[in-house]
Amino acid sequence: MIRSILPHKHTLHKLLLVTFFAGATSFVHAEEISSAQVKLIAGTCANCHGTDGKLAGAIPAIAGRPSTVLEAQLLAYKQGLQPNTTVMDRIAKGFSDAELSALADYFANINKD
Amino acid sequence: MSDQKNLFSSSRRQLLKGLGLVSIFPAISACAATGTSKASAGRVVVIGGGFGGATAAKYIKRGNPAIDVTLVEPNKTFYTCPFSNLVLAGERQLDSIGHNYDELQQVYGVKVVHALAQDIDPVAKRVSLSDGQSLQYDKLLLSPGIDMRWNAIEGYDEAAAELAPHAWKAGPQTLILRQQLEAMEDGDTFIMSVPGNPFRCPPGPYERASLVAHYLKQHKPRSKILILDGKDNFSKQGLFTAGWQAHYGDMIEWVSLSNDGRVVRVDAANKEVETEFGTRHKAAALNIIPPQKAGFIADRAGVTDQSGWVPVNPVTFESTQVKDIYVVGDATVAAPMPKSGFAANAQGKVAASAIVAAFAGITPLDPVWANTCYSLINPDYGISVADVYRVQDSQIIAVEGAGGLSAADASDNIRRSEAAYAVGWYNAISQDTWGTKL
Ligand SMILES: Cc1cc2nc3c(=O)[nH]c(=O)nc-3n(C[C@H](O)[C@H](O)[C@H](O)COP(=O)(O)OP(=O)(O)OC[C@H]3O[C@@H](n4cnc5c(N)ncnc54)[C@H](O)[C@@H]3O)c2cc1C
Repeated sequence: MIRSILPHKHTLHKLLLVTFFAGATSFVHAEEISSAQVKLIAGTCANCHGTDGKLAGAIPAIAGRPSTVLEAQLLAYKQGLQPNTTVMDRIAKGFSDAELSALADYFANINKD
Repeated sequence: MSDQKNLFSSSRRQLLKGLGLVSIFPAISACAATGTSKASAGRVVVIGGGFGGATAAKYIKRGNPAIDVTLVEPNKTFYTCPFSNLVLAGERQLDSIGHNYDELQQVYGVKVVHALAQDIDPVAKRVSLSDGQSLQYDKLLLSPGIDMRWNAIEGYDEAAAELAPHAWKAGPQTLILRQQLEAMEDGDTFIMSVPGNPFRCPPGPYERASLVAHYLKQHKPRSKILILDGKDNFSKQGLFTAGWQAHYGDMIEWVSLSNDGRVVRVDAANKEVETEFGTRHKAAALNIIPPQKAGFIADRAGVTDQSGWVPVNPVTFESTQVKDIYVVGDATVAAPMPKSGFAANAQGKVAASAIVAAFAGITPLDPVWANTCYSLINPDYGISVADVYRVQDSQIIAVEGAGGLSAADASDNIRRSEAAYAVGWYNAISQDTWGTKL
């Protein structure tokens, strides 16, 4: 079962940290999960996409790609709508929609190089 | 959960700190010893520069560069177990799986000491090293990996491992086994003894059998592989068995625990093993993967339990037995997470974040980990198992509905993609851990 990561016990530093979240477009999503929390979750992506999602190779880089594109892709994986997926469908199902959306914003705001 | 309490006490500390009433950083005076002019936010010593330790050192520095981080690792080059099975198969050179500590030092400002940590005094918070130095810490992070349980199998000790290698730590051991495989005649038998759970890399032995079969099929096609197992089932068993059948026919024979698979005695000089019910097998190349335990330094720190492994608080990976000592990677009890490099790296990040939070006096974040273990049946045919993990009721759980195995009926194209992604994964985790861009 996915436990909700929404407000409850991190409300305090969420309020402190949310203001640092880059870009006004991210705000809608970022209000739900603190930037520190998103950064920690994003650490799980680096194992295959490189530190900050910047490594390009057989597995594509994700840093600096548009947030809307990343989010749509992640949701498609989660919903099993992306044909020929190998592993991202299995992984995306472990995250809430709000987390996937926050991750999309997080990587979109990282400078590619 | 005690988090509410932590939040309270940490925010209270924050408040007092803001008012200048207390210093929560007793370590600040120690920065003189580091030779930097900036005030240190605290001192961390990391023991072990493998998947867990190197990642933790880097991510502590990324979290707060003012924290003083010293990494202790005897080897100047770290050879990864991941992809060492490709070295055994002759598909890669050992050099291609070696990584160094230059980027950690030059880019992230981690101090690296090439020595072995010999002892830990958790009261004085001091680590003594093989070169005579000692290091003070405020927080200690251990990622020492595994040690072999020598003599758990009669006759299998360190000397025997030179004749019948485990190759379960990569480097010279990998090369000994490679030489034995090269010396095999067509029609000879390669025997691998596999321990019961828990052990490093649950699918590792079966990937090894696959890639050795790939080598033998090309060069010594009449040879056999005999896996003598201390278990009745194993990771990705269905996918492995189907892959073996499709690519190697009956070259690989797997003997389960119930069918007398457990090796109890080894005669390394004669490359002979004896199983529980007295069956003897002779090999031309003999690979003994013995039972394991946490690296010895965990014992010295007093963080292991009777199992020989280290119980940890799942939110922070701090030892449940000794305060201010964090342990990650294979050494820990973190089931259902496997003892994998991927998991060690992911745990290293969570522990790093918890250490940064502790120095700042704030509550640790909610951890999330992922794991994907790729295995190659041959260099163009990959399979995987993946999971996402969280903490629920103070336990690590695999998130329901997520994760699982590659599809049993996947097309050859998908298998080829997974093999390519295995390489992509290897390059990415190497970059994320040591900075090596391959
Ligand atoms: C054949 C094989 C294949 C594998 N394939 C995969 C794979 O495909 N994917 C995957 O995710 N995992 C794989 N693994 C598992 C992976 O290698 C381990 O899970 C991983 O290395 C664990 O990381 P760690 O940090 O706990 O230990 P390690 O990576 O072993 O690092 C421990 C380090 O600590 C150092 N050390 C120990 N004691 C001391 C001391 N007292 N003082 C100073 N330094 C010390 C050691 O020198 C070592 O460098 C495989 C393993 C094997 C054997």
